[in-house]
Amino acid sequence: MNTFKVQVGAVTRDLPIVPVAPGVSVALFNMLGDTEVTEAAGCELARLLPADIDVLVTPEVKALSLAHVISRESGKPYIVIRKTQKPYMVEPVAREVVSITTGKPQLLVLDGFDVQKIRGRKVAIVDDVVSSGGTLHSIRQIIEEVGGEVAAVVAVFTEGQERPEVTALGHLPLFEN
Amino acid sequence: MNNPNELTVTIGGLERTLPTVRAGNLGRVPLVEFIGDSEFTNVAAQELVALIPAQTEVLLTVVTNALPLTHELSDRSGLPYVCARKKRRTYMQSPLIQEVPSMTLGVTETLWLDGPHAERLRGRRVAIVQDVIASGGTAQALARLVERAGGTVTGYLAAFRQGEPPMSVTVLQDLPRSL
Repeated sequence: MNTFKVQVGAVTRDLPIVPVAPGVSVALFNMLGDTEVTEAAGCELARLLPADIDVLVTPEVKALSLAHVISRESGKPYIVIRKTQKPYMVEPVAREVVSITTGKPQLLVLDGFDVQKIRGRKVAIVDDVVSSGGTLHSIRQIIEEVGGEVAAVVAVFTEGQERPEVTALGHLPLFEN
Repeated sequence: MNNPNELTVTIGGLERTLPTVRAGNLGRVPLVEFIGDSEFTNVAAQELVALIPAQTEVLLTVVTNALPLTHELSDRSGLPYVCARKKRRTYMQSPLIQEVPSMTLGVTETLWLDGPHAERLRGRRVAIVQDVIASGGTAQALARLVERAGGTVTGYLAAFRQGEPPMSVTVLQDLPRSL
């Protein structure tokens, strides 16, 4: 299998290159189950986080442990935007997005209970990989709709096009074949 | 203080008030939430790490709620963890698919373990990690995944037990099923 070598802090990984659409492959970066990479990336991104950030917001699932580590290291709370609406949510705020890794419309849902923690606050969005920016765009909309200000976007990698607005530790190319 | 709709728990000297939700004729069920609470996650992991069954080589959990807890347990113990998903992902290769016997009427849940991740369980002694073990259905499904992947289960670890699961579980505390 073809791989793509990346470095996160002092940790290196060979990411498998897998097809996601006709003619397009990506270097698959999955932090789930990789404690070492999650710790390395979380500690580094916590260091790069602007001091005036009040709260972190992350989409479920893959960046969840990353947000936990950044929160632990920075002392700033984190909120998770879920991908399904839970029966216990109070007045949830929802958006739909088409994801590059799934190709399907994906729901993003903020529990109304968490709205007060975002309104009037400076928010940093935390994700593992920012690629097409679709998820990012929808999360930004949700945050702005409830009165928060997106003051930073931090991710382990950007992918495809360069994204100057994203604070990332590295960049992944798209592979065309 | 004594709000009948809340339940206060203390772990490692850290106190949290759990919200409750109405669940049919069960009454109000306390909800444990580690997501978004890194401080609570850390104290629970600190207490749980000493309780990981001896000889364990790998931890296995499932998305989503126990993920930060399992990450901390992994970091503190030095043991790697593997995570089962609740949906098929397009990049999965030869995943193991396991139905969860569900308590809820007619609703079944399916666990997906990516083939390369299942490979990390083969020949290994594996502890199942969850935030809460209630009916034990998810725990049983995870154990089944371990067996199908060629590993052996060393035990079941959770921050809380909420009910009477059929297997022996190691927990920090028991929670009432309902208030």
